[in-house]
Amino acid sequence: MSKHAITLKVNGASYDLVVASNKTLLEVLRDQLNMPETKYGCGTGECGACSVLVEGDVAINSCLTLAATMDGREITTAAGLQQNGELHPVQQAFIDHSAVQCGYCTPGMVVKGVSLLAKNPNPTEQEIREGLEGSICRCTGYVKIVEAVDAAGKAMAVAAD
Amino acid sequence: MSTRVLTDFDLVLPGSLSEALDILAQNGSAVTVVAGGTDILVAMKAGFKADMVMSLTALPDLDYLDYDASSGLRIGANASIAQVVDSADVERHYPALWQAAKIFATPQLRNTATVVGNLLRGSPAGDCCAAVAALGGSLTMASAGSTRELDIDDLWVAYGTTARADNELAVELKIPAPAAGRVSAFKRLTRVNEDLAKLNVAVSLQMDGSTCSDVRLAMGCVAPTMIRLPSAEAVLEGSELNSETLEKAAAAVQEDISPIDDQRSTAEYRRGVAGVYLKRAVEQACSIA
Amino acid sequence: MQRARRWQWQRIEGIQMSEFKTIGKNEQRVDIRSKVLGTAVYAADVNLPDMLHGKVVRCYEHAHARVVSLDLSAAAAVPGVVKVLGPKDVTSKAFNKSVIDLMASESTAQMLGDIEEQHIFTDHVKFYGDGIAGIIATSEEAAEQAAALVAVEYEPLPVYLTPEASAAPDAVQFTDQKPGNLAFSLPDGMFPGGQLGWGEVDQAFEGADLVIEDTFYTPKQKQCQMEPNSYVALYDDEGRLNCWMSSQMPKLVHEKLARLFEMPMSQVKVTQTVVGGGFGARLGMVMEPEVCAMALAVPGRPVKLQQPREEDWLTSPSRHPSRYWMKLGFKKDGTPAACDARSTNFKGGYYLDGSALASTTGFWLQGMYRFDTLRYKGDSYFTNQPVCGAFRGYGNPQTNFVLEQMIDRGCAELNIDPLEWRKKWHKQVGDMSWLNATPYTSCALDECLDQGAEAIGWAEKRAKYASQTGTKRRGIGVSVGNHTSGAFPMILEQTTCTVRLNEDASATVLVACSEIGQGSHTTLRQIAAETLGLPLDDVRLDAGDSDANGFDIGAHASRTLYVGGTAVMKACEDAREQLFARAAKLLQTSIDELDIDENKQIFVKDSPDRFVSAAKICRDGSFNFANPQTGELEGEPGQIQAYVSYKPDNNSPPFFSTFVEVEVDTETGEVDVLELVSSHDIGRAIHPAICEGQMEGGAQQGLGMALMEEIYFDDNGHVTNNSFTDYKMLGASDMPKMTNILVENPDPYGPFGAKSVGEAGLVTPVGATANAIFQATGIQFTQGPITPEKILQAIKEKGLSYT
Repeated sequence: MSKHAITLKVNGASYDLVVASNKTLLEVLRDQLNMPETKYGCGTGECGACSVLVEGDVAINSCLTLAATMDGREITTAAGLQQNGELHPVQQAFIDHSAVQCGYCTPGMVVKGVSLLAKNPNPTEQEIREGLEGSICRCTGYVKIVEAVDAAGKAMAVAAD
Repeated sequence: MSTRVLTDFDLVLPGSLSEALDILAQNGSAVTVVAGGTDILVAMKAGFKADMVMSLTALPDLDYLDYDASSGLRIGANASIAQVVDSADVERHYPALWQAAKIFATPQLRNTATVVGNLLRGSPAGDCCAAVAALGGSLTMASAGSTRELDIDDLWVAYGTTARADNELAVELKIPAPAAGRVSAFKRLTRVNEDLAKLNVAVSLQMDGSTCSDVRLAMGCVAPTMIRLPSAEAVLEGSELNSETLEKAAAAVQEDISPIDDQRSTAEYRRGVAGVYLKRAVEQACSIA
Repeated sequence: MQRARRWQWQRIEGIQMSEFKTIGKNEQRVDIRSKVLGTAVYAADVNLPDMLHGKVVRCYEHAHARVVSLDLSAAAAVPGVVKVLGPKDVTSKAFNKSVIDLMASESTAQMLGDIEEQHIFTDHVKFYGDGIAGIIATSEEAAEQAAALVAVEYEPLPVYLTPEASAAPDAVQFTDQKPGNLAFSLPDGMFPGGQLGWGEVDQAFEGADLVIEDTFYTPKQKQCQMEPNSYVALYDDEGRLNCWMSSQMPKLVHEKLARLFEMPMSQVKVTQTVVGGGFGARLGMVMEPEVCAMALAVPGRPVKLQQPREEDWLTSPSRHPSRYWMKLGFKKDGTPAACDARSTNFKGGYYLDGSALASTTGFWLQGMYRFDTLRYKGDSYFTNQPVCGAFRGYGNPQTNFVLEQMIDRGCAELNIDPLEWRKKWHKQVGDMSWLNATPYTSCALDECLDQGAEAIGWAEKRAKYASQTGTKRRGIGVSVGNHTSGAFPMILEQTTCTVRLNEDASATVLVACSEIGQGSHTTLRQIAAETLGLPLDDVRLDAGDSDANGFDIGAHASRTLYVGGTAVMKACEDAREQLFARAAKLLQTSIDELDIDENKQIFVKDSPDRFVSAAKICRDGSFNFANPQTGELEGEPGQIQAYVSYKPDNNSPPFFSTFVEVEVDTETGEVDVLELVSSHDIGRAIHPAICEGQMEGGAQQGLGMALMEEIYFDDNGHVTNNSFTDYKMLGASDMPKMTNILVENPDPYGPFGAKSVGEAGLVTPVGATANAIFQATGIQFTQGPITPEKILQAIKEKGLSYT
């Protein structure tokens, strides 16, 4: 086994960690940093419950990422999207559109929404749907999630004006 | 059976190409090379044992994607699928690759997985594999003290096995610049939009009016490796592209493929749709041209 | 209580929606902020000091085998391993992981044939992945390492993957309690002749003008709730067994665990964490017995058990695969003269809720149409497959796939519009509902069909698609269904609720109803706030704690809002009456003259300047100080608290319909679902967005069942697609345009007129999709799911209907 000293910046705070070679970013976030908002759903990169943002807006599967390979990187989780108690517009839109049921996919889904809008601030419904692939929700049929991402995009555009 | 946790292994993170090549020279087949890692980690959770994992993450300067009108496309070993999708050059000059990349896996995986990694995985279902097999190209295989170009046609030797030697690292994919009149396309058949292909096909043809030449057709999930379709290529090579020749080519595909049943589809079905999808891919390539 | 009931009636009949304060409004879900932030605590998020990790060792070599020898010594020697457990190291008591048997009286359960034949770790492996031993270690990694070192010698047994195979005379018996491996058939004592129905069926077929019959197969579908089952258990220093888990039925699991480990229920504490979806997969116990057995083996140390997705797949029950034969007889004018059917279900390796599914599959059949005569038989046979149990709809989607296709076939033969046929022959108010025991109390199915047909453009499309050419063929199909609101009168129905008014007149509602994502805690809170007359923010629901909560039978049978909601409403009515009675004394008026405003001031309706603060009444009740001058006690003593134990006397079935439009690629067999319109007669929408959410999510699962979802086995009984890589569900970009219509037609029994919507959303998309494919191709598909592979093959064999 090898151990690796890394520095991870998570939700704005910097952590100096020693991680085992076989630990995924998901395990380090959940077990080592005690940040449970990132979820294990399948462990194989299919469901997206483990999605986090790298360098602010690039969504990746933390379950398929070796923590030791993330030295120096900046990670944002769903819990880190809020700023001074203000929810991120995507999170607020999920609330406004009742786009949550069991909630297990939600942190990853919100992260995906942020990433999608960062890349394409004005997506069509089809682009939202395609962008949400890789994040499975078994409760909602995606209707209200798509509506929420759409509304968040519009709200962010207004705020940016 | 699958586990939530990865079994133990040594992880090395070389900081330079020479260091990486030295590690390969010394440890050879004991080393499992990962770039994005999205395939290997899944395999490891399902029981694949790796003694030593060499991650390319810390290797500098291998995440490039460069296009030059004369020399063509160069994709570094760490360049992600997402970089391909974001490239206007690829979209314009290599439609087959761009179309494959655009629907490759999921957005998260596209951000992490690499084009070169997809080729080296040697899966008969790899979407980028189909595209690159049709477009043609080569991999630069580096080892301590030497370098060779490996033609894409010679890459896949058996299911999950490539012609990469244990001491080699694939550092770059080259795809030649398309001549005027070159068209290409990629199509795949899946159970749902986000899925591994049950069949994928990529085509690349040199069109002179309606006559095609230098035809390269590739199909996946119909043999132990990604394959070219020599019989169908022979039908189209030098022919006038019309519904008759297309039908003939579609029929000829049957001679080239040897599909099996798996979780995603059946051999019979794959035989049933192979020709249809080849035809549609050629039509798509030409309508784009 | 009588009085309270009248108050409810008056509200429903006399007051328009707009007069409700919160009922009918899309209030913010109570759990949603913590869920968008990820701070909601699921079972896997529970971490306790000094926590160990458990792992169940499973048999992946065989789907059927006897364990000849088990050697745990190498596993025990792995560094970090604290304890290894074989079958002899844990209780040898047999049990049944389902809880359905608890919900029938002992004599009824006996008549049904319920059995207890499971063990914590087995020496008779009955399915691929059956658990044979346990490891407790300081880390998951060590537990995994140890599990790999368990040495087992097996005696392989023949693998039975169909009822026919396991019913063979020489087949190995799964349990000596079920001869012939017949897990269940409708008991004669309960259903004379071992059948459901009415009338002389055979005679009716003789008089029929058209008789059609076929045998269908409906697939083994997986719920795929997003949260894999995880647990923490602790046998603590006070001798209590604690279990943090996410069962849909915490109170019944509480009792089951106490029975299994022979402890008083007061010494077992079950905490239901936030539940990451259920859909039936967590109807009873899944891994609770195993993790608790581990905890009992290491007193004082918590044990966490987290399953990989692939393992969750094998250990939590799926939908029963079913072979379903049906024969229908019609008169020329479409009169449904006779229905004869039999469903034979693949039970999997263990009995679980074995008595229920084969019965309910027939209940839904007899509940739908006015057949002159009907006969249904149902049974289940053990098979060497992972266990089957509840999955949203509980036999209803199976019946929908079969019955609705058969109706369309009959209509096609008789040249009758399938929509008109359904409108004419579906059951109505006053007809007997699914158990043939209580009448339908409300039905707005015609309105559902009318609105749905208009929304999707049924008439034009149906006519347009009747003749087509080319390789892309479209079709439109309709399906109808009804379900239930609660399990009455089939099995036990009961929910208790306690409402306590705090010193500031805010309310705490104690009820064990499960929030599994469906939104019930939000809607129950709305019912409580509306009934109490309090602002929503002043009402808090406390659920999931077996110490605090009274009895409830959990989230199943689409019962939570209907039964739990009524329990909450009745308890709140009582609390409000107590509060108003005190106010009436102070204001020298009667309860009927009073109302409460948004500031919690109770006022006289005719003279609003006469009011008293509800908070003052509550505070005086609890503190009841003596006036320092007069010595008189201030206010009426005692905290206001109301309690109800509610058993419903009806089940108010919701009616619903779905229209689906598809395009079939005749060269590849691919199906593109273009549009789906569902309309549900839900009685009253307490929270419209939550109702829609149930329909939208249900549609995703129903389309999946119709088109692609099935667990596969190889010849050895090994599951080959127990992962999200190999088992596919419709994703965001696969889902069609959807319209979900709520038809409000208040039911006389439901709380505020509400009926259920939880399971229903899955049901009709199944039949409607099959019928749309029927119109598009002219071919009916009897073997679900209807994959492109099957379509292409059928087109090759049968040709298209209109070429």
